[in-house]
Amino acid sequence: MHLTEEERQILDGAFGEPQRIALNVLIKLGDAYGAEGMVEIASAHIVGSSYQIAGEAGIEIYSKLVEQGAKVKVRTTCDPGSIDFSRWQIFKTPPDYAERQVKIAELLGQMGVIPTWTCTPYTAFNVPRYGEDLGWSESSAVIFANSVIGARTNRLAAYVDVCAALVGRVPRFGLHLPECRRGQVLFEVASELSDNFEDHFFPVLGYFVGQKAGDRIPVINGVQKATLDQLKAFGAAAAASGSVALYHMVGITPEARTLDEAYRGRQPADRTVVGRSEIDNTLEQMNTGDSGAVDIVGLGCPHASIDQMRRYAALLKGKYVHPSTELWICANTVVEDMARQMGYIETIERAGAKLMVGTCHNDCPLGAWNFRRLATDSGKFAYYTPTTVGTKCIFASTEACIEAAIRGRIGSL
Amino acid sequence: MNSPHAILQGKACAPGHFEGEAVVSNQPFGFWQGLDPLTGTVIDQRHELCGTSLKGKAFFFPYGRGSTGTPGIFLEAVRNACAPAAIVNTKSEPMIVMCSLLAEAFFKVLIPIVDGLEGDPKSILKTGDWVRIDGTTGIIDVISRS
Repeated sequence: MHLTEEERQILDGAFGEPQRIALNVLIKLGDAYGAEGMVEIASAHIVGSSYQIAGEAGIEIYSKLVEQGAKVKVRTTCDPGSIDFSRWQIFKTPPDYAERQVKIAELLGQMGVIPTWTCTPYTAFNVPRYGEDLGWSESSAVIFANSVIGARTNRLAAYVDVCAALVGRVPRFGLHLPECRRGQVLFEVASELSDNFEDHFFPVLGYFVGQKAGDRIPVINGVQKATLDQLKAFGAAAAASGSVALYHMVGITPEARTLDEAYRGRQPADRTVVGRSEIDNTLEQMNTGDSGAVDIVGLGCPHASIDQMRRYAALLKGKYVHPSTELWICANTVVEDMARQMGYIETIERAGAKLMVGTCHNDCPLGAWNFRRLATDSGKFAYYTPTTVGTKCIFASTEACIEAAIRGRIGSL
Repeated sequence: MNSPHAILQGKACAPGHFEGEAVVSNQPFGFWQGLDPLTGTVIDQRHELCGTSLKGKAFFFPYGRGSTGTPGIFLEAVRNACAPAAIVNTKSEPMIVMCSLLAEAFFKVLIPIVDGLEGDPKSILKTGDWVRIDGTTGIIDVISRS
């Protein structure tokens, strides 16, 4: 791999042990994937910020790095933690668990990481530009940055993202190369579906596409329009059920103004038509529980936007969450602050719902709750629920989820 | 196909030597929420290996999937000496290779990774087979059948 003078000096230890270790990891990664050199990044977003992910191994690694004087070199934001820092008692988080998460927060702070605690760093503080190279992890943020914005990042992983932050570089391979961003597999949304494409079809389609595409780059043709939240929901599901890091939605995402642009002149190997039956079959897979009583409803995966908060507040206005059901809405501090000023949170909390900030159902220890059946409008959450929360999961539209929270039970979709 | 002895050539992705038992699946696998890092047991209820221990084994599966939190769980397993000791994939996504690089950088443990295995891993070998893996040459030696 070609290295610059500065990179050689980093490897010689001229900038300290953390940078030397970090660059070494990144060079080996680049060598494994045929990178010819490194590329400077505009920002990093790290995923090993939650105790659930990092664990004691993470505390050991970060403690050592901090001891050696590690500081991030570029703007670096962090993913949700495993606790709501100001309200962890409400969510029955064990105190010793909360204490370990606080320890991680201290260590990341000492390295200069901005404490965003969100999977949607692009809401504020870490907003990428088209064509910019990044060193991000968090699968739902990576797929959003690549696909919706047109920035360039591979799916980094916990700790590799810290390495990237420490040297401000990543190996240049994969999605950093324009020729590696062309669509590889086509999904044609049938007109029976696209003519009346409902909001909750986005995460279902994402789940379906992720399963079929695996780690290839899907091109989705036939979706007429989509909001940022719908693209966020689609991508999060595709990145969870598959390893999708970039998708092209024709006429909607910036590198796919036309079908030809999405393929960059080369026809894809596979073509799949998605109709009503594909959506129905996928819905069946996403639902591991039947209709009936639900004890937890989870919204805000990925973290809710201000538009979604407005929608939740409107649906909950004057209503009450069923006494035997919990409704938790996850968001970041920026959205929380705006939603509070807009009066949405007052409405949400008056209805008996709980706001969960800087973390989510997926990241928190929920053993003390003994939840049995969960309803969510998130394809990503539906994918992970059976293992993270250990419950049966019912996937439904946002409206149906909120109605379930009010009635304490859910009907079939 | 299941001859008593076979030598397979894959692509070397991360260095290290392994000799021991194989655990084989033809389903993709995600370590985050798929592996209990305190025991090394598969906990993904939808996975055919749910309940199986990967501790100290060579784990053969098509490709990794899911969360970028993968090395978090993986390194916790490494720290607890419960991680798989070698990985062989049809196609390693960078995530898996990163796990091995990080284990070496932060815990001085070498976990060989080989990819480029052709076809269904189950058509080549099965759980319990005894294998030797060289992460530098990419050679997988199936020594005996279970």
